[in-house]
Amino acid sequence: MTEVLRNRLREERDSKGWTQAELAARVGVSRKTINTVENRVFTPSATLAIKLAEALGVSVERLFWIER
Amino acid sequence: MHDLHDVEVAERMGRARSRLFFILAMVFFAGQSLYFTSSPLTRDSHARVGAWLILVILILMLLATGGFLLRGRNVRDLLNDETSRLNRLASQALGFWVTIITALVVYVESIFDPLTLNEGIHVIVTLGVGAALISFAVRERRAHRID
Repeated sequence: MTEVLRNRLREERDSKGWTQAELAARVGVSRKTINTVENRVFTPSATLAIKLAEALGVSVERLFWIER
Repeated sequence: MHDLHDVEVAERMGRARSRLFFILAMVFFAGQSLYFTSSPLTRDSHARVGAWLILVILILMLLATGGFLLRGRNVRDLLNDETSRLNRLASQALGFWVTIITALVVYVESIFDPLTLNEGIHVIVTLGVGAALISFAVRERRAHRID
């Protein structure tokens, strides 16, 4: 069975009115990392997932989920 | 939290780094083709071997650190964040496999058409290091371009 990690990073970021660079600055990563996570090219570490959720003020489970 | 300015600087430097690594790989390959087309009597002069060794060590240090020459800790941290570290590890792994496979091919080839030790090392190191460098440059460029 294929498992795919999905996320609603872009939607949550857009709802705050932040650019990728602004979110990147808040989390302490490059814009490229935000971009690749949003486009599901890169699977973030647990540490980064938690930092992203904290920065956006949502739970990790709301931001990321596994699609089976 | 980082400064937005640092993120923007890291973005520009990251794109520049991927271009620079690609150009460096082309220069490295071009240098090696000159090595193999020059006379066997002069190709292993001290100056040439010294220049080649310096270039190889420089590339290896760039591949190991992601850019040890970069100034500013904040920008350097952003440039070498999770995606870049992963891209670097994947490129190093590719370089390892290319090196081993090239070494095996050179070994078999030398049974039929003997190579000198220097020639063999040049082929193995050039392909291994060059593949890792190109792989990192391509992965980084791709990561910057996705939208």
